Amino acid sequence: MKDNACCGTTEEWSPKIVAFVCYWCTYTGADLAGTSRLKMDPNVRIIRLPCSSRVNPLFLIKALERGADGIIVSGCHPGDCHYSTGNLHARRRFAVLHDLLGFMGIEDGRMTFSWVSASEGIKWQQTVNETIARVRALGPIQTLHPVGAQQLIAEMGSEKGDQAR
Amino acid sequence: MKELQELAAKLLRDQNVQVVIGYEDGPAGVRPAFITDANDAARLIFDPRCVHNLATYLKPQRKHIAKLGKIAIVVKGCDARAVAGLIREQQITRENVIVIAVRCGGVLEKAPAKAAKKVELTEENVSVRCAGCEAREPKLYDYIVGELPTEPPVSSQRAGEIAQLEKMSTAERRKFWDEQFSRCIRCDACREVCPMCFCLQCVALRAQPQWIDSSPTPAANRAWQTMRMLHQAGRCVGCLECERACPKEIPLGLLTRYVAGVVDQRFGYKPCDDPSVPAPMGEIKTDDEEEFIR
Amino acid sequence: MTNEFLSHASLSSLIAELVATGTRVIAPVQTEDSPDRLEYKPVCSLADAALAAGQPRLSLKELFLPSTEVLLSYRQTKEGVEIREVPTQARPQVILGALPCDAAALEIVDKVMSWDSKDELWLGRREATTIVSILCPVEDSNCFCTAVGVGPDSVRGSDVFLTPVEGGYLAEACTLKGQSLLEGRTADHADPEAIAEAEKAQSAARKKVQENAPAIPAGFSAWLTENFGHPVWNTMALRCHGCGACASVCPTCHCFDIVDEHENATEGVRRRNWDSCQTAKFTLHSSGHNPRPSQSERFRQRIEHKFSVYPRRFGEMLCTGCGRCSRICPGGMNLVEIVGGLISLSASNSGGAGQ
Repeated sequence: MKDNACCGTTEEWSPKIVAFVCYWCTYTGADLAGTSRLKMDPNVRIIRLPCSSRVNPLFLIKALERGADGIIVSGCHPGDCHYSTGNLHARRRFAVLHDLLGFMGIEDGRMTFSWVSASEGIKWQQTVNETIARVRALGPIQTLHPVGAQQLIAEMGSEKGDQAR
Repeated sequence: MKELQELAAKLLRDQNVQVVIGYEDGPAGVRPAFITDANDAARLIFDPRCVHNLATYLKPQRKHIAKLGKIAIVVKGCDARAVAGLIREQQITRENVIVIAVRCGGVLEKAPAKAAKKVELTEENVSVRCAGCEAREPKLYDYIVGELPTEPPVSSQRAGEIAQLEKMSTAERRKFWDEQFSRCIRCDACREVCPMCFCLQCVALRAQPQWIDSSPTPAANRAWQTMRMLHQAGRCVGCLECERACPKEIPLGLLTRYVAGVVDQRFGYKPCDDPSVPAPMGEIKTDDEEEFIR
Repeated sequence: MTNEFLSHASLSSLIAELVATGTRVIAPVQTEDSPDRLEYKPVCSLADAALAAGQPRLSLKELFLPSTEVLLSYRQTKEGVEIREVPTQARPQVILGALPCDAAALEIVDKVMSWDSKDELWLGRREATTIVSILCPVEDSNCFCTAVGVGPDSVRGSDVFLTPVEGGYLAEACTLKGQSLLEGRTADHADPEAIAEAEKAQSAARKKVQENAPAIPAGFSAWLTENFGHPVWNTMALRCHGCGACASVCPTCHCFDIVDEHENATEGVRRRNWDSCQTAKFTLHSSGHNPRPSQSERFRQRIEHKFSVYPRRFGEMLCTGCGRCSRICPGGMNLVEIVGGLISLSASNSGGAGQ
């Protein structure tokens, strides 16, 4: 469970988290966390977008499908959006996405939706570290993506191969 | 129903309308009817076997139907919501369609597979979507026909099925949906029959870039279904046509009804047949609940 | 090939031996949630199989042409591109209780699969499979197998054909493969009573399905070609949603799409997936032009391909009259009705208006 069985390696597993953050608030806040030398585990890959409302749910679905064990989405606090109402649109969208993913069996602990402002370096640190801890406790996501190509071919023709797609 | 048949014949004869879309008895049961000749209007029926949502035939991509001319469409209250949805999202204009609403007392869960005589609605055979229906007397219409029947019985078969899923652990739900999505073959019947899936190029068909793999693998199927449900949030009218169309009998209604519940609970929105009421996902409020935000 | 008697006990031990030696046995089984719904699934013993109990919802096609399968994997290295193809040799399997419409379909599709390019995956699986069909009880009024040259007692595509009789089955070995499967299992020369019983059952089944539709006349294929531009096509498919459910349940539809899927920047797989001419994207060009722009043209294609193009090329209609398309269609399209209507039209020489 704790190894990268889905990728065919046996290294000690470490969570892979993808974060979609808005440029104006959270990205700047994350930058502040960095310049303040706040300690954060290195498990998060950040993707910068102009606004939290640019986050298409497809991004999150694709990330989970391709092996992200957890996701973070973060933007400006409501009322502070650089584009005035972007994050309010995003909030509605994320609410439905959050509930639907949970209904379809994705653990709540794997998803972090947050508002982190440009001055909240410490909040970003907390968001990152708490997310990593939660996802570590939940374990790898159990691949949603089909088995690796080489492994799939190798299994063809065997009992296992009949179920493999 | 004589009233419906005579109205249809009149509309066709007086040249207002070139095709009336309604229901008829087909060789394999009740099915959509396309009446282009006033003399054929006697084929039109309406009873609890008329489960289909005909609004899907109004979608712009159904060019071969639009080519026939002006359309009059028979709708139940739930179908009228789909017509309203198409008007709301500017896929059709109100003036270009004649809406013949029928007062409805509920329909079966599934149209009978074989041609069958009329049936009585019971707790066992009634559609789960009919209980508590507020649209038995539709408000969107040019003509309204029929007597208002008694309220439909409450479905005993599927009551509480969503609550049952919610009671499961996340891991159990994961397993349940993984199993369901492993059966999906991406025939896209769910999308084609849906009145609100009218994108000329569906995001799932985009190859440059390809966000959703086209192969029917469990992972890609899950991505497809999740995305379709999200795009339907606040727009889906709960007709369950997708569920009935699925050749692999995947319980898509569980997802559509769950999302409708979320939209109602969070944003106070239920699908309605008034095109001027805006759909919730394009609207914003400063005080939406954000308990899920850490 | 002679008729022999196969007892229930003999069949049961045959199945048990096959399973024990690692041969997969597939048969119609009742599904858990719905006892009147059947599916072709692997079984461990004869007791699990529901023989001659009805038509499985889906055909045997999935076993020979899966809805999705990997063809090869590729990996880019410094030296070039490394390609690994899937093996084409398949596990031996026996299909027990195949419906005649499903068995015949395989033989029909074999023709295109071994035509200008040999489809090694399909042919490999066909080679490794022994098909034991059974007399069909006839599902319902949507069946029309006799109209297209098949029938509830047709042995086309079968290695062994079983007809239920008292105490077991009358077993006809149709091929060498079938003969070797039955070797030593049957009593030579079934008694005349069993043969009479079997013939009676076969004749009754044939009569039942013949009531649904008359045989398609010889000139129908040519008429379809000549009347490609007939106005009837404009109104025939109004209720069709273009969903492709018909193609997915059809035992003879075999179109597929090929896609490359990247795992990452340097490796991935090539897959083939079921596709259907009924979908809008089937003939969509990258320029945006679509030579079959509406459902009218797409539905015409389905009929022309099955009843005109394929027969002209391979001498067979691409249809075995199983009726699944009519049963599954959410829009109520019905092939008995449609083909019957077109035949009537072809008979009225004028080719005039009306559906």
